[in-house]
Formats: sequence, structure tokens, C-alpha cells
Amino acid sequence: MSELLRLEDLQVHFPIRSGFAEMVRRKPQRFVRAVDGIDLVIQRGEVLGLVGESGSGKTTTGRVIVKLTKQTAGRIVFDDDDVSGLWGQRALRDYRRRVQLIFQDPYETLNPKQTIHDFVAEPLMVNDLVPAAGERETRVLQALDSAGLRPATDFAFRYPHELSGGQRQRVVIAGALVMDPELVVADEPVSMLDVSIRTELLHLMLDLRAERHLTYLFITHDLAVAWVIADRIAVMYLGKIMEIGPADGVIRSAHHPYTAALVSVAPTPEPPDAGTRASRTILVGETPDAAHVPPGCRFHPRCPLAFGRCRTEEPPLFDVGDGHQAACWLAEPGARAEGQSLPAAGAEAAAREGAVPAASPRPGSAAPTP
Amino acid sequence: MSEPLEAGLASTPSLPSAPALPTRDAEVRGRRRWPLPKQADPNAPLLVVEDLKTYFSLESGTVRAVDGVSFTLRDGEALGIAGESGCGKTTTALSLIKLLPANARIVGGSVRLFGIELATRDEKGLRRYRWREISMVFQGAMNALNPVQRVGDQIAEPVVERLGLSRDEGMKRAVELLELVGIPGDRVRAYPHELSGGMRQRAMIAMALACYPAIVIGDEPTTALDVMVQAQILELLERLRHELGLSLILITHDLSVIAETCDRVLVMYAGKVAEEGAVATVFRNPRHPYTRKLLAAFPDIEADRRTLAVIPGSPPDLRTPPPGCRFHPRCEFAMELCRTEVPRETTFADGVRLACHLYPPGSDGSLPAALAGGASGGATPAAGPPQTDALSFRQLADEALAEGAPGHFAGADHGLAPQRPNEPSPPLTPDARPERER
Repeated sequence: MSELLRLEDLQVHFPIRSGFAEMVRRKPQRFVRAVDGIDLVIQRGEVLGLVGESGSGKTTTGRVIVKLTKQTAGRIVFDDDDVSGLWGQRALRDYRRRVQLIFQDPYETLNPKQTIHDFVAEPLMVNDLVPAAGERETRVLQALDSAGLRPATDFAFRYPHELSGGQRQRVVIAGALVMDPELVVADEPVSMLDVSIRTELLHLMLDLRAERHLTYLFITHDLAVAWVIADRIAVMYLGKIMEIGPADGVIRSAHHPYTAALVSVAPTPEPPDAGTRASRTILVGETPDAAHVPPGCRFHPRCPLAFGRCRTEEPPLFDVGDGHQAACWLAEPGARAEGQSLPAAGAEAAAREGAVPAASPRPGSAAPTP
Repeated sequence: MSEPLEAGLASTPSLPSAPALPTRDAEVRGRRRWPLPKQADPNAPLLVVEDLKTYFSLESGTVRAVDGVSFTLRDGEALGIAGESGCGKTTTALSLIKLLPANARIVGGSVRLFGIELATRDEKGLRRYRWREISMVFQGAMNALNPVQRVGDQIAEPVVERLGLSRDEGMKRAVELLELVGIPGDRVRAYPHELSGGMRQRAMIAMALACYPAIVIGDEPTTALDVMVQAQILELLERLRHELGLSLILITHDLSVIAETCDRVLVMYAGKVAEEGAVATVFRNPRHPYTRKLLAAFPDIEADRRTLAVIPGSPPDLRTPPPGCRFHPRCEFAMELCRTEVPRETTFADGVRLACHLYPPGSDGSLPAALAGGASGGATPAAGPPQTDALSFRQLADEALAEGAPGHFAGADHGLAPQRPNEPSPPLTPDARPERER
């Protein structure tokens, strides 16, 4: 197991265009702090699920990794090379071959006037990777075949309108595969698709990981999808990572109130029994504007468990064992010793813990206080 | 929300398709703001749809988008219509108030609201019912609002047009409605782009409520929203339903939304009803192979092991639907009969209505051996190679994690999953579903 990508204190701040009046009054330039200092390591061969509401900065993080957006500060280290300063088409050619992006909307990603073959072959031509037309065609057909569009020759010369949503997303995946990448950044690849087709694509992505030794950064707003596909889950809120750890740990024993709330509202097809609806923690409001990040813990205005310290001091990521970290004062080693553990405080988390068989013993703080 | 209504619902969660008490119907109807339409039969059920057929004519043929759908909606009830895209669920809803595109036509069946036939009415004849009795929250709140008109004006428009109130009164009502759905009243003067996604969806709901309708149809009301906002919107719908005595029709491919908010569920496949019944009954004990697959394919963080089913193939082209049962090409239990004969809808003792040859009309509706066993056994030789691809990668991942190396299962180990097609997938048997905390 080796490290493939490391982000160090990554920040992306977008300047807010100020009006003439503000310029005259010499107001300081304001920024949207889309990504506000995250550290993240992706191991070779793993699937890291990056989960967050819209406006949490998860997509911006993905765009920085594929170098579509410039970071304000911080370092990006890919395969032991610092690529933070790498810019320009020529310099990025090799990097872009190794790191590919899958977009959310297969209806908009594909050019309606381009055949599937041309779409998949384009990156090869642009990067001048395979100059020979015959060889290029073989590569394209191979990629289509890997993406499950079989027989590939049937699909290669169709147009996007002739395909269903699931097939289109397979084409987009083929377009990423044809470059033979090492890291694939998938930005909400299944959220536009029906549930029944979702499974197929998740299945496909995991098969491809096995076949081609891919590593995924899987960006999604849906905790359940992340849980299905990811080895580790990172939960983002307003540009910061709130909690990160093994998928099981994050879902089964959330140490951050935000994660716990997300888990409690995660969609489930179980009909609600009397009482289960009450166990949900619905946070009021929406992710606040990243231009006005609250002081202290940025989650405190919506946090059901916030106390004095949360309003003034921002918690760092505390280790809670098993490679599981949470940025919450309640996860601080001392705080937990005092019995302020999250599952005890959050009734819904406690209720859920009870529902889970004892198969996943949680590090410390496990016992819900009666 | 201490309505007697809610208490009644909560205390009878497992009643088989609880036939709503007439008293409840009367109670809900008693809260109406307006008298019933003149031609209404006061004793008729709220909405009865019978054998509805809506076809689209294209150059390349006729698309039978809705092909014989029947259901009943009672006062104060929430009905969820589920199915994959292209199964005709939106067309069914649009047919109720005939908001259909120009090339679509209702070719048969009836839609009766308070006993009044709507399917045969012309545009003018429908004015009394559109929005005043049946309103709609359209798909994609981002695009359904007019970007160059203030939200308040858009909400006031149906009030002014349909109820004949003055503009000032309309704006007053708009403020009231915004506050009802949880938006500060002073936002009436906001433009849609000044509102967040969740607030726009709330504004759409406010608009649907403008004329105190009896039925609100929500077409994928939460699909484009974040999970937390989705939970907020569902909670809002639930509250409004009880406070205002609304009846809801929720159209969604997301079964969790239906589990969360609806009393009954109607699963559609290729323009027909596959299964219909009380949510608790159908979701705990799904019978139709399609319903079972849909439920098994749903990623659920409450399930203990990640075993997701795949529904092989894609929905049929409705210009040339397959003969017999329309689901048979994708059904692992398809028999010879399924290929030739269209299954008839049968209602079983617990109120579940089904169209599947595995449950013939005379049977008691219990699980056939083939399904109970999970995998396609010898009972269905016609099924050919088993098409289930039980997806147990989570399990594999967990095993690999237990061995201490997350990178380890990236290689050969994971390749095991596709080689285990015969593994019975736990979600298929109801008892294997994880127990939930009471």
C-alpha cells in the first residue's frame, strides 16, 4: 500500500467581484473560501469517498486535483512529485493522462454531434498519444468494451441520443479509461441515474478498479452511495474535512455531529416504524455561504450539540483510533473521557448504535449513557 | 401536529392497506376551504383512475407510455408512484389534469375526481379543477420557476387567476404561503436566483398550495436536492399533509422517499402497474420480482452487508413492448407463460394488487418457492443462466479490511465478486433484512 496523492493544507479562495462603490470606499477584497485548508491522502488502489452537501467544496477539491482550478495555497503531491506548480498544457500532459475526471451529467458531458468513437478517441488525439489511426481504434474499442458497452463495434459509431442515461455514463467512463489513468476523480458519477442503473455502474467501477488497478476519488452527496463504494469516507463541510476514516467507522460510529446527522437522514427504503422518524436529526438551514464562514467551529450554528468553546475555537482533526479522525471538540481525547461522547449526547446516534449488531466495536466512548 | 389524523396513521402501521375509514375521509373533506365542485358526488372517493391509457404518437410509431393504469386515492392519503425513468409515472400524473404535450392523447380509461370525469373534458372544462383541486410540484425546481419574475408574483398568479382575488390579496396570500413553507415572508420580492435550491423547492410547494387544492402531485420533488434539504422538504410535505388535509401523489424513482412519506405505493413498470399496496406491506414483503429487485438495488446504510442487486438490461421500448409480461426479458423467474400472456392484476387478502404469473389469481399470494430460495432454482428451467449478479463487494472489502490491508483487495481478491452469481443475495429474503431499532 503506497500513497498516490497527498493534499497538504489545500486552499481555494475565489475572489468576490466587488462593485464600484466598494472599490471607491476601498473595502478589502472578500473571498469565497470554497476549500479552506484540507489535508488528504489517497492510497494507491483505494476508493476514497468525499461526501458533502452542495457548497461544501467537494467538487472544487476534485477540480483542483485534476488541475482545472488553481489552488490559492497548499501542495498537491502525486506519486511523490509535487505537482502544485505544474501549469500549462504541455507541462500537464503526462499528469492529465494519469489523472482523469468523470463528470456528473452524462447528458451534458457528451457532444450530441460527436459519435461515441470520436468522443473516446479525442483525448488520444489531443495528447498525440496514439498517432496511428488503426491502433487508436483498437484502444477505443477496448475502452468501450471495458466500460461494458458490448459489442463495442455496435456502439462506437452511434450518437449520444441513441443511448440511455446509463449507457452514456459508460461512454464517459470509457473516455476516462482510454487514457489508462491511475487516479480517477469521479464527481457524482451516478447521481443523475436511476437507482437500478446506479448499482450497475458502481459495480462496473469496482470491477475496473480490480482489473486496471485504479484509484478513485469518489465525490458524492449521497452517504449511502459512498458507503457502498468507498473504503474510506471523508465528510466535508464548508471547505473543511469534518471527519475521515474507514467507511464502516464513519457510518457506524460517527464522531462528528454533522456526520451523525447525515447518517440519520440517509435515505433508506425501510418503511418507518413508529418512532424511527423521530430519531432523525434534521439540521435547520442549509450549508451557509462560504463567503461568510462562521467563527470557531464552522458547523456550530447548525450543530445540535454546540457549546461555548465551539463558538470561538476551531477544532483540529482529532484521532479517534483506527485511522479515524474527527474535527470536533467532543472528539477530543479529554472531552470523551469526561463522558461527553457524541453517541451519548446525540440520541439518534445512540439509537442507531443499538440497531447495529455488536460486530463493529467502536473505539472508546461506545456505551450510550442511559 | 397532534392531529387525530396523524395519531390514526401512527397507530395502524401494519394494517393491510388500511381501508381508510369513511369518517377520516369526511373529516379531511370537512376541512375544505371551498365547497365541492357543483357536479361532485359527496360520497364518491377523492380520485379514481381506471384503466388509464395515454399514448404518444411519434413519427416512428405509437409509444404506449401509460397502458392501463388504475388506482384510487383517498382523502388525506399519500400515494407514491415508483419506477425507473420511462416507466410512465410522470405521464400518469400529467394525465390526471391533462397537462400533456401536444402529441400525447388519453386514448382510454377514466379519471374521476369526486366522481366527476376529467379525462374527457376539454381545456375549458378543466379550468375549475386544474390547480384548484389538483396542483403539481414540478420536477427540477431550478428550472420550473420563471427566472425573470419575482417569486411572490409567481405564487400570486394562480390565486389571482383561479380564485379571482385582487393582486394585493394575492400578494398577501403569497406571503402567507411562503411562511407556511418556512420561507421568511419578506422574500416575496426575491427573484428565484436569490434563493437556494431548497428554498426554490419550497417556493414551488407554496405555489402548488396557492389555491387550497385537494390533491398535490409532487413529481420528483426532492431529486436534485442535498440529503439534508431533502429531509427538510419531506418533513415539510408531511407536516402540510396533516395540517391542511392534503392528499399527495409522489412520483419518484427513489424508494426511500416513498418509504418516508407515503401510505401506499404503486410500482410501475413499462406503463403498467406491477404491484400496489400499503407501504409497510409492500416494502417488508415485496412480491413482484421487479419490486424485489428495485428494493434490493437500493443502497442502504442500514443494511449490514453490502449486497446490491443489479436489474439486468434496460426498460423496454414502449413502441414495441415485449409480448406477455413486459418485465419478462429482465426477470430471472420468467416462465413460458410470461412470454405469451399478459398477467392479470389480482388483489390479495392483505390488499396488495399484483400483476405477475408467479402469483396466479387463485393463490394465497405467498412467496413461491423459486423466490423464497433467492436464486433461480430448478423450478424455472426456462430462465436460462441466472442473471442475478449479487454484488457483495462490501463484504469482500470488509474481509480484506479485517486482514489489515485496504490496498489488498484492489487486485485479485475483488475479482471474486463477479464469479459468484449464484450466491443467494440476502436482501431478497425478507427475514434477511436488518432489524431496525423499535
